[in-house]
Amino acid sequence: MALETLNLEHIPPTCQIYAAFFRDVSNCEFLHAQLLSRNSEFEYAFIDASSIISRSHLLAAVYSAAIVLLDGTLRTPNVHSEIVVSLNTSNNIADAYRKWGISPGKTKDLVVIKVVLCPSPAKETASTQTQTPQAIWDHLRQHVKGTPTPLTDAELAQATDWPKVRKYYRLNGVPALERLADEQEKIQQSERLAIMGMALRGL
Amino acid sequence: MAAADDAQFPPPKVLTYPASTPPTLITQGAEGRLYKTTHLTRDRPCALKYRPPKPYRHPVLDARLTKARLSSEAKVLERCWREGVPVPAVYAMDPAAGWMMMEWIEGIPVRVGINEWLGKRPEEGAEIPQVEDETPIVELMKRIGAAIGALHKTGVVHGDLTTSNMMLRPRGVDPVSGGTGNEGKTRSVEGDVVLIDFGLATQSMSDEDRAVDLYVLERAFASTHPRAERLFGTLLESYKSTFKKASSVLIKLEDVRMRGRKRSMLG
Amino acid sequence: MGLDIAQKKRRIALGCEGSANKLGIGVILHEGETSTVLSNVRHTFVSPPGTGFLPKDTAQHHRAFFVRVAKQALADAGIRIADIDCICYTRGPGMGGPLASVAVAARTLALLWGKELVGVNHCVGHIEMGRTITGADHPVVLYVSGGNTQVIAYAEQRYRIFGETLDIAVGNCLDRFARALNISNDPAPGYNIEVLARKGGRVLLDLPYAVKGMDCSFSGILTRAEELAAQMKVDGGKGPDGEPFTGADLCFSLQETVFAMLVEITERAMAHVGSNQVLIVGGVGCNERLQEMMGLMAADRGGSVYATDERFCIDNGIMIAHAGLLAYETGFRTPIEDSTCTQRFRTDEVLVKWRK
Repeated sequence: MALETLNLEHIPPTCQIYAAFFRDVSNCEFLHAQLLSRNSEFEYAFIDASSIISRSHLLAAVYSAAIVLLDGTLRTPNVHSEIVVSLNTSNNIADAYRKWGISPGKTKDLVVIKVVLCPSPAKETASTQTQTPQAIWDHLRQHVKGTPTPLTDAELAQATDWPKVRKYYRLNGVPALERLADEQEKIQQSERLAIMGMALRGL
Repeated sequence: MAAADDAQFPPPKVLTYPASTPPTLITQGAEGRLYKTTHLTRDRPCALKYRPPKPYRHPVLDARLTKARLSSEAKVLERCWREGVPVPAVYAMDPAAGWMMMEWIEGIPVRVGINEWLGKRPEEGAEIPQVEDETPIVELMKRIGAAIGALHKTGVVHGDLTTSNMMLRPRGVDPVSGGTGNEGKTRSVEGDVVLIDFGLATQSMSDEDRAVDLYVLERAFASTHPRAERLFGTLLESYKSTFKKASSVLIKLEDVRMRGRKRSMLG
Repeated sequence: MGLDIAQKKRRIALGCEGSANKLGIGVILHEGETSTVLSNVRHTFVSPPGTGFLPKDTAQHHRAFFVRVAKQALADAGIRIADIDCICYTRGPGMGGPLASVAVAARTLALLWGKELVGVNHCVGHIEMGRTITGADHPVVLYVSGGNTQVIAYAEQRYRIFGETLDIAVGNCLDRFARALNISNDPAPGYNIEVLARKGGRVLLDLPYAVKGMDCSFSGILTRAEELAAQMKVDGGKGPDGEPFTGADLCFSLQETVFAMLVEITERAMAHVGSNQVLIVGGVGCNERLQEMMGLMAADRGGSVYATDERFCIDNGIMIAHAGLLAYETGFRTPIEDSTCTQRFRTDEVLVKWRK
């Protein structure tokens, strides 16, 4: 099973987070349509991997969405839309979906995040039971037409569209990056700037 | 963190969730508290700054101030970081809840480094052998001057410059995961200078504000390291060579020194 | 006389204060380490609502009442003129006219009775009286009155100013705001604001909050509060909840904002010098809401707040007598020819020889 369980620091076990990565996805139109029709079977964050730099970059968005979910201070309809908006540097939801969401005809590589909140591990409801990792994976496997891929920095890096990422996070002409000669270091520092931009979202 | 600390200083809610290692309370000041903890994964250390609610303040005012101050601090850090000024990166924050997670800066405060260096040397008044090589501490003063020059060039004044608010980050440390395993071997005044604690920072381009920033450091330096006071000139020279507009700031610094910290008071 | 003052068992001083609109004369007795207030008489010049006290009228008031107040202070103390060791008076800071009229009167007494004079810094008077009355040993001092706003701590024979107002004093801000609302100056505008504020608080109106390090500023707050007061008179005003606000809400909001600033700079100074005692002195220090807020802050730091009541918080002669006598006991004198007064006299200019 290529569904990964994410164990983030400072996230309680009542908040289960799963992630999967599919390359060369061929049915984005279908997946996008499910989101638009608010099909309750498709409660996922679908993220266009070309706008993602690394695992830390992705996890930073998942973390901040999970925190607002736990705090009960969601500013978007649900935790999954919150993840997409958390990747943005502004609070504009439509803009976030255009940049990081799934785009019919454009998205090739897709990251899927699923967050399940159970009030207490002892009191599993019917819905949490249907949301076992196996059930989630079966559902994704059935509906996402693409190649399951490990969610690693190396795999993510292959999907990254740098001109796009640089534009989204205003990384062009940044003195802190321009003076770096080492490519690896440049990527690392770009990741931090992206995370910083997300942390300061809307300020 | 001991349980007793928790009772006296309840941590922010975000730190009550489990982590691989429990958060440690590092400092407790008038402004707030600093914890060492982790961001996202166990190998990503971070500093969490928390401004707890002030019981004396009206809740509406308290919320407004906490939010505004954390936001302003984060904006200043981002601005510095983009411009290449050595400061911690911001990882995550919730201004309404009063916390901000930042990059953990490895190493020791400059204050400790300088004092260790001075401690190795003979007492003041004793015959100091002329052959002693002062290069390492002179180089440190230059790096401090350059860091402040870069900061001021960015249009930010720190507001509370002291040698406790600067870290000496050992070179060659992976900036993300930290730790090379041989920090102990680094000499006390080596490493990159990183400016920290921007709680009182403001965005300003005025010579006056910049001069006051230097003056605050000068006074703090003199009282913290009286035996190294004469090296302060090196710091200012380096500030001047890093920052084009430094000359007018240094002229203003003379004024600020002359009038002391305060103007004469009206009765 | 005076040479062996430190050996003398009972030392008595008469103090005269008139740096603002209060004329105060008091008599203090020092015996060994203990201080006893023998008398503390005050007469206040109260101006009509909507107006402040002008230097000329205030000086006139002090001249007119000096003899009456002095006689009362002597009678209350039950001492003979021969018992007095020195005459103390406020050298500054304060308003020129009122200061001068009291200095002249003090000089007259000194010449008339053949006593030595001691010129006293008004702020140091407040601090020493506060320390003695409350027993606060090494506190950070918040000095708040109509003319002063300072955060002070003692170090190496000086009361050092860690923070202060960058423009007007907090008491001046409150007094002038009282005029905008036509609040009575009797017994004091600040007191009437405090009473009125207890009826407000449905909403907290948004006022600028101006703290810079350990310094603060009040003129922007006053301007905004005056604007809101004017707005209220025209159309009832509109609070953050869209409902009209009252004068009481304004008083409440003003107090909450300026006192939070004062507590914040005091806390910063306490962290800086590593003290957990705080002493509040000066007229604004009578305010119970300020004392309460300061107490909450101090408790949070594991310390406590020390404050005095209106007898000692509000300008008085006894504090001048007390601080003057402390200086006198260390050999300090003010020769007649130097017995001037000054509107500017910084707290940290005084050499505090009587403390270690």
